Amino acid sequence: MTTERDSRTRVVLSWLREDAHENAERVLLSALDEVDLTQQRRPRWPVGRFDPMSSYAKLAAAAAAVLVVAVVGYQLLPGRTGPGAPPTAAPSPSAAPLAVGEFTSHGVEATIDARGVGDDVTGTMTMSDTGQDASVALECGRTTEGGLLLIGGLVTDSTFTEWFPAGHRVGIALQPGSPVKALWYIVLPGDPPLQECQGVVDAFLAEGTKLNEGLEPIEGSVDIGP
Amino acid sequence: MDQDLVIRAQAGDRAAYGLLAADLAKRFLATSRRILRDIDLAEDATQQALVAVWRELPQLRDPARFDAWSYRVLVRACYAEGRRTRAWSPNLRLLPADEPADHGSMDDVILRDQLERAIRRLSVDHRAVLVLRHYADMPIEQVAQVLDIPVGTVNSRLHHAMRAMRAALDADARPAAAEATR
Repeated sequence: MTTERDSRTRVVLSWLREDAHENAERVLLSALDEVDLTQQRRPRWPVGRFDPMSSYAKLAAAAAAVLVVAVVGYQLLPGRTGPGAPPTAAPSPSAAPLAVGEFTSHGVEATIDARGVGDDVTGTMTMSDTGQDASVALECGRTTEGGLLLIGGLVTDSTFTEWFPAGHRVGIALQPGSPVKALWYIVLPGDPPLQECQGVVDAFLAEGTKLNEGLEPIEGSVDIGP
Repeated sequence: MDQDLVIRAQAGDRAAYGLLAADLAKRFLATSRRILRDIDLAEDATQQALVAVWRELPQLRDPARFDAWSYRVLVRACYAEGRRTRAWSPNLRLLPADEPADHGSMDDVILRDQLERAIRRLSVDHRAVLVLRHYADMPIEQVAQVLDIPVGTVNSRLHHAMRAMRAALDADARPAAAEATR
């Protein structure tokens, strides 16, 4: 019985694998004609650096990230409770902390000190990667029904022009959890600057379920409150 | 797959994508034809998938996973074609003009007829598992990844599909096939 079954299986697999000699050239040419007229859909978050020369830079960045995690981890060991820890920037000590920490997400090292409630958010955020840096004055925020914290702001100073050019509004989505997950809202080539910070929040929300696909666990720590 | 081409195409290099697509087109057409069992539907699915891969490529976060990701795009296109053409063509093109007609005896023809009928009775879901596993030679885990279903579901569908295909070879089915091809 086993032999019979194996023999039938072999016949099925052999039939399935037979050459059919499809001519793909016509389909290919038609598809490429359509490709010429089709714009790529660029995500609102980093999908990886496109510079094939950056392998060593990535290695260095990875080593730096490990160092950041180690240092941050050491600093946080005694039982950080959020507001009591020394922030990298303290824009408004009296406001309630919304997201405070140092982390690496999508290869970008960042610090965030966001304070406020609801849409009213202030604070600062910095991003750096392989010698490029950017600073953001945080301006707005939103917490979704699903608990996702969306924060946006204006890039005030930047050498990190690929993703965070000065004068543009950018943002970050933070999903509470262990670990926290994060997603950047970056500027795409040709994007005009958003006139209002709320545009960042709206753009995040417009991504719908795609937003969840972009979220990645951070390295480091962000305290999300209140 | 040349990852450098993938990265260049992600960045919008149409020439790089042309090279990628030349390779993809052959694999896509062969795979979609085996899933959809119709060359016209397969060509449509392949063209749609090639355009979709170009359009969505910047969203692929790990270029090393291009192969699995591109198959996923293709299978979605096959599902779309399958939905669009619910009435499957009843005519069995056992030996299409572009295939070599040297497959031998009437027994072979009958055998192919039975297998063709059997696979057409399967759902596109089952065909996709069967083709990805046994034609594209993907490991079960990769099939699960491509189809975005649990490994257990892949195994279950594969078992069902293979059982149905083997059953088509049962001796008592042969006479019916012979009648049907007259």
